[in-house]
Amino acid sequence: MREHTTTNRVLLALLGLVLLGGGLLVLAGGADIYRRLRLTPPGGWPLTTPHNVLIPRADQIRWTVQDWWWLSAIAALTLLMLLALWWLLSQPRRRHSRRLSVGHAPRGTVTVNDHALRDALTTDLDTLPGVRRARARFLGPPTHPRARIGLVLNPGSTPRHVLEDLRDATDRARQSAGWDRLPTDVRLGVARHGPHRAE
Amino acid sequence: MTSRTPNTPPDPGGDPPRPRPDTTAAPAGNTPHHDPPPVEPPPRQTAREERSPRPWGTRRAPAVLAAALIAVGTGMLVFEAVWIGTGHPATAWWTRLTHELASRPVDDVWVLTGAAIAAALGLWLIVLALTPGLRPQLPLRVPTDGRGRMRAVLDRKGAALILRDAALRVPGVSAARVRVRRRRVTVRADVSFRDTADVKDELTDAVRREERGQLALARTPRLAVRVHRSPT
Repeated sequence: MREHTTTNRVLLALLGLVLLGGGLLVLAGGADIYRRLRLTPPGGWPLTTPHNVLIPRADQIRWTVQDWWWLSAIAALTLLMLLALWWLLSQPRRRHSRRLSVGHAPRGTVTVNDHALRDALTTDLDTLPGVRRARARFLGPPTHPRARIGLVLNPGSTPRHVLEDLRDATDRARQSAGWDRLPTDVRLGVARHGPHRAE
Repeated sequence: MTSRTPNTPPDPGGDPPRPRPDTTAAPAGNTPHHDPPPVEPPPRQTAREERSPRPWGTRRAPAVLAAALIAVGTGMLVFEAVWIGTGHPATAWWTRLTHELASRPVDDVWVLTGAAIAAALGLWLIVLALTPGLRPQLPLRVPTDGRGRMRAVLDRKGAALILRDAALRVPGVSAARVRVRRRRVTVRADVSFRDTADVKDELTDAVRREERGQLALARTPRLAVRVHRSPT
């Protein structure tokens, strides 16, 4: 299961740059920045005076009478739409199970179902002292998986105690799958409880 | 009302049965230890520890929103382009849009407003892209053994609950409210008996000990403790 952190952030930054650049360009023209600051924009620079319009009628007509304009516009827009759809459809989390390759075996010959391993790890974590609820998932490529664990602690137990046990539990999962390394992300929460401390 | 009344039972509305082991045995004021778990070893003595870096969020929600908006917008444009390209008359919104684009000057108030919104939105998206996010999560120190890194975070609500429990274990505290922010922890406690200054010292000690020892936060937030005499 891939997480599209980098993709999302790069694309959001690109979109932000486009919006920011366009907005600033229009604002600069509208506020007559160039004349006030005595700047001379380079040749062909759009929107230099407040009287400019965004897309003059002459430009609209000049483009739209040409056949290649429609074709290229449709092609570019379709490409952009498909890209956006791909971006949108890549966001949901994967639900179906997949095979993770077991270490120390030739690549792909021995695999383990990631849901089975996840359930085993969850059961193990659920029995740790001080843990009320546990959830585990495996992310990353099948040969170099990562684990993500969410724990809700009982009132009265603290992260320090649980993290040591949790380290052992993930170690057991790591060894049972024969992996050398298993990077783990843990998110801890505490079960809500009233001010009367459960001893 | 600063006289020491160590064994005054807490007010009925306050805090029912809670063990108060030391108030009878030792003089109030220097009874620092009330932790039910055994006295914790000082950090980084038993196992090596390292700090979790701040996790970076996926930014899924803004990505979904942006992707959906782009897909819908380009979809409408593609439809319009094909529609006109196949000889149909342009739809009303397209005629209107091209007319507005060709007629409103750049210093028109609507154009300026739109440009300002676009610029602000763009700046916001850049900030979203470049900052870690996940502000409700506090990074923790984790035990290391060299078998792949482990990162751990605790949500701020959970940290507040743990610190509140620690505060309530201090004798004399009848109620406590804890607010945890990323760099600052604020404890407000009601004191039902004992000297407020003593309780405040002890409370500061207890919360700080809990923070260092049990919470295992990667960076220790500043601590502000306020105590009030409870109104009874």
